[in-house]
Amino acid sequence: MIPLLYPNRRQFLSASGGGAGLLALAGLKGGESSASHLSNIAVRDNRASLYKKAPRAKQVIWLFMHGGPSHVDLLDPKPELARYSGKPLPESFGQVMTRRKVAQNPLLGPIRPFRKRGQSGIEISEFLPNLSRHADDLFVIRSMHGDSVNHPQSVYQMNTGSILMGKPSVGSWVAYGLGSENKNMPEFVVLPDPGGGLKGGPPAWGNGFLPATKQGVTMRPGAAPILDLKPQPQVSPRQQRKILDLVQNLNRDHAARRQVDGDLEARIQSYEMAFRMQSAAPELVDLSKETEATRRLYGLNRSGTREFGRRCLLARRMIESGVRFVQLYSGDTNGWDAHSDVKKNHTEYCEKTDLPIAGLLTDLKQRGLLDETLVIWGGEFGRMPMSEQGKGRDHNPWGYSYWLSGAGIDGGRTHGATDPVGLRAEKDKVHVRDLHATILRLLGIDHENLTFWSHGLEERLTGPGEAHVIEAIFNRGRQY
Amino acid sequence: MVLAWMLLCASVPGDDPDNQHWSFRPIRQPVPPKVRNNSWPKNAIDRFILARLEAEGLQPAQAATQQQLSRRIHFDLTGLPPAPRLTAGAGTPVRFGAYEQLVDQLLASPRYGEKWGQHWLDLARFAETDGFEHDKIRNTAWRYRDWVIRALNEGMPYDEFVTRQVAGDELKPNDPEQQFATAFCLSGPDMPDINSQEERRQNVLNELTGTVGATLMGLQMGCAQCHDHKYDPLSQEDFYRLRSIFEPAINVVKDRSLDILKEKGATFGKSYLMIRGDWQRKGKTVEPGLPAILVRGSPWENSAEFRRPTNQNSTGRRLAFARWMTDRSNPLTARVIANRVWQYHFGSGLVATPNDFGLIGEVPSHPLLLDWLAAELMNHDWSLKHLHRLILCSATYRQKSETGNKAPDQGNQLLFRFPRQRLSGETIRDAMLASSGTLHHRMGGRGVMPPIPAELASTLLKNQWKASNELADHYRRSIFIFARRNLRYPLFDAFDRPDGNSSCPQRNQSTTAPQSLHLLNSVFSLDAARRLAAAVLRESDSLDDAIHGAYQRTLSRDPRPEEFKLVREFLTDQADLIQREFTRETDRPAPIPNCPDFDSSTAAAFSLFCLALFNSNEFLYID
Repeated sequence: MIPLLYPNRRQFLSASGGGAGLLALAGLKGGESSASHLSNIAVRDNRASLYKKAPRAKQVIWLFMHGGPSHVDLLDPKPELARYSGKPLPESFGQVMTRRKVAQNPLLGPIRPFRKRGQSGIEISEFLPNLSRHADDLFVIRSMHGDSVNHPQSVYQMNTGSILMGKPSVGSWVAYGLGSENKNMPEFVVLPDPGGGLKGGPPAWGNGFLPATKQGVTMRPGAAPILDLKPQPQVSPRQQRKILDLVQNLNRDHAARRQVDGDLEARIQSYEMAFRMQSAAPELVDLSKETEATRRLYGLNRSGTREFGRRCLLARRMIESGVRFVQLYSGDTNGWDAHSDVKKNHTEYCEKTDLPIAGLLTDLKQRGLLDETLVIWGGEFGRMPMSEQGKGRDHNPWGYSYWLSGAGIDGGRTHGATDPVGLRAEKDKVHVRDLHATILRLLGIDHENLTFWSHGLEERLTGPGEAHVIEAIFNRGRQY
Repeated sequence: MVLAWMLLCASVPGDDPDNQHWSFRPIRQPVPPKVRNNSWPKNAIDRFILARLEAEGLQPAQAATQQQLSRRIHFDLTGLPPAPRLTAGAGTPVRFGAYEQLVDQLLASPRYGEKWGQHWLDLARFAETDGFEHDKIRNTAWRYRDWVIRALNEGMPYDEFVTRQVAGDELKPNDPEQQFATAFCLSGPDMPDINSQEERRQNVLNELTGTVGATLMGLQMGCAQCHDHKYDPLSQEDFYRLRSIFEPAINVVKDRSLDILKEKGATFGKSYLMIRGDWQRKGKTVEPGLPAILVRGSPWENSAEFRRPTNQNSTGRRLAFARWMTDRSNPLTARVIANRVWQYHFGSGLVATPNDFGLIGEVPSHPLLLDWLAAELMNHDWSLKHLHRLILCSATYRQKSETGNKAPDQGNQLLFRFPRQRLSGETIRDAMLASSGTLHHRMGGRGVMPPIPAELASTLLKNQWKASNELADHYRRSIFIFARRNLRYPLFDAFDRPDGNSSCPQRNQSTTAPQSLHLLNSVFSLDAARRLAAAVLRESDSLDDAIHGAYQRTLSRDPRPEEFKLVREFLTDQADLIQREFTRETDRPAPIPNCPDFDSSTAAAFSLFCLALFNSNEFLYID
């Protein structure tokens, strides 16, 4: 018989020290509680698996380029593709699965030239003049690959590890594993593109089977950054405080008449946190105290870059205030999805984002935040070397690029390679789940140990199969 | 201790059915145990509970008051608060027979199906859209929701309830209404525009097989999709044999949403095991069949059972499956549903992992009680209402949620008190509307869309959430709100409504600051508070009367003197503030519609008092 002391097997397991650690329970502070939290074996003892000489980040900014930016036009130079532009893909490449039957279309050379940048000499396209100044801060992965040619499946896979709907997103996992450093703010904040229409929708930042507190909270610049943050216009702040006082009076009396109950107490605290958020969140999104130089750095002084620049600046402010994971989307329904004209599309989106992203890196660096912040850039997939409708390109999950920066990673390096035309990842391939494992490791978490019991399965971000951390990312030595 | 636990788990299934894992053993109705305190039990359930408490040296809690019980069973059975008159005379003991009558009356109410239907829809991962990029509307999905509500209200026996959902088309091929029940199998997320329709077909089949396993059988079949189950005696072949039962009924057409099961002939081609679950890697062929561990030595072991076409259009595989599922010898079906019914009444099941009765699921806290309930269900024609009645009339259910003494079992797994429960998001909304008298009771039909904030709608594709034209529709019960897979209604989302992407057997109960922000600040909350204020003020002669009325409507009781004093002070302060801060009357949170009999700033202050009541723990938690 199970000893009565341990009402159920899982509590028994955690109490008996069966590999149970308490790191994720740190997330319980700050006026929240969750039954599923308590009945779960959280992160297994992390200290044992710390990567000793690992650079460590405390927080993440993920710049998600929705629609799928073209790696062969931005980060992955392919001289062969230029040379064979207009010719069909050689038969030696075999069958290619595509979304829009473009396999037989002629190859399309890189739209704009690449040049060697920085001391490292990493080649970056002329589409990205500002990012190019940070070439020596970037770790460019040129061998990413995923499993689906479709947007929503790939958006889900990049965000949750699964091409199916409903799993927790990376941000939720990180929030679950590491908790928050700011009890006035959510742990995982999402800054969606104001154009809306992410393919796959809000489940991309959903908590899946993790507690609701781990869900990405969407925030916007401006006066109403979080849903229902402010009272309705018929209720003044002073009136609201009085309502809150009455509620808390009633609640404390209610609790006093009952036995000690964590839930009742947690809800009392949640009202206080809600009240603090009402002032903390607007302060956080109030950019008026930023200097003119900073505003210029992010492109707030120019109409083309202002919108994305504001969100990049917001991301820095969130990180500064202790938010754990910030995800920023560029691209409305179509976004970077350049089916008909790569030049037109990427000119537009690069102009919107290139300067603000460079500004963000500069600013993080000058404030000493870059070493403890992991910055990630990339979309749900890349694009095909073959043309579509003449000047466009179709989706390509088989090979594409990502870059990582900060987190103490030595920049100015590239990792892996696609084949000569950029169709498929070929050398040192990095699957999406390998990227996830690497992100977690950079945060000091072994992906195999960040688990959650759900439906009788010990779930994890990287799934049941194997995932490989990119070990090279931890190597020292810039290549210049 | 570790050893003891390992021994417990070492009940590895063998050939002897009685030596198998507990949930695979045949169900026999046990004799309720003897207890020392014979005056407490009201029915057999209580003997099982009390025997365990007595063995641990624990006492059950006192009986709840009439007011507490009335509020508890109203929310439990109908998801709505009692009408104010029903709780008058709070604190007095229940008149003999009156409670039982109330139980029967609530079980007969159409509101019962609206409440319990949502439990089943959670299990069925129900939504009215496809999900993924386009998240298109499934035109007939609401018919399945309505079918569930109607079936529960009519008291459809559970064996029939299951049969119709997996094989309604084979059972009654000429009754189109009944065929909507099979939408259960196809209610999961799906991507109709995916490139490879073969990949889509297999995704649907896999998802369906996993859901049928988890919800109906209490087995995590989905874990055996890529390899043999790591813990349970379920092989990968078992998964694909079960999958093949449904295979003839799944025909996907590009860009067309899933709706109901439909077969094309009396025979079907080959089914395969997919290597590592990869849709492109066919392994060996498999015959339709059931998990070997459950049918060893029975006639069901023979796949011939699955070769009996019901008619020229159907293979009969699913009807055979339903016959096995609902056969009295099936050890899982009755146990799984009896556990669920218990769980929805008490907040947690006798088995704490309701979708997993396998080896790594929890063992039951009261195994004999579970078997007794399961047998009782089958003995009474699988009547769920019979189970409800038994449970609700037990002394166990009628306990207070408080005990005087500090007890060691902090999880209350032994049930020495009734577990206090937080309302679901849907119930919170319904209760707010009901107490303000604005709940609109029209049942059924396409999901309705009350307005949502523009910043939420903008995260969707254009026009995916357009507020319903008819104002009355904005006040319909929560179960009739359109279930869009890519966006949950904000109040439900904040309060842990599952996402509809996989079967949810038990909701999380989180406590978060965004919940508080929503209840305190949303348009919906303030609107409901202003309508409650109007309803109460209009039926009251004085402000004191109105305070009583608001307490009755929201908390089903009168305010205590010290609360009364607090509220009076609040109203005076707020009226004063309102007068100073909102000089124009039109800017004030006036009751809707306005109540000219009361001073306008006091009436507006009363709206804010109603808002406070909606935010109180006593409103959100049921003792």
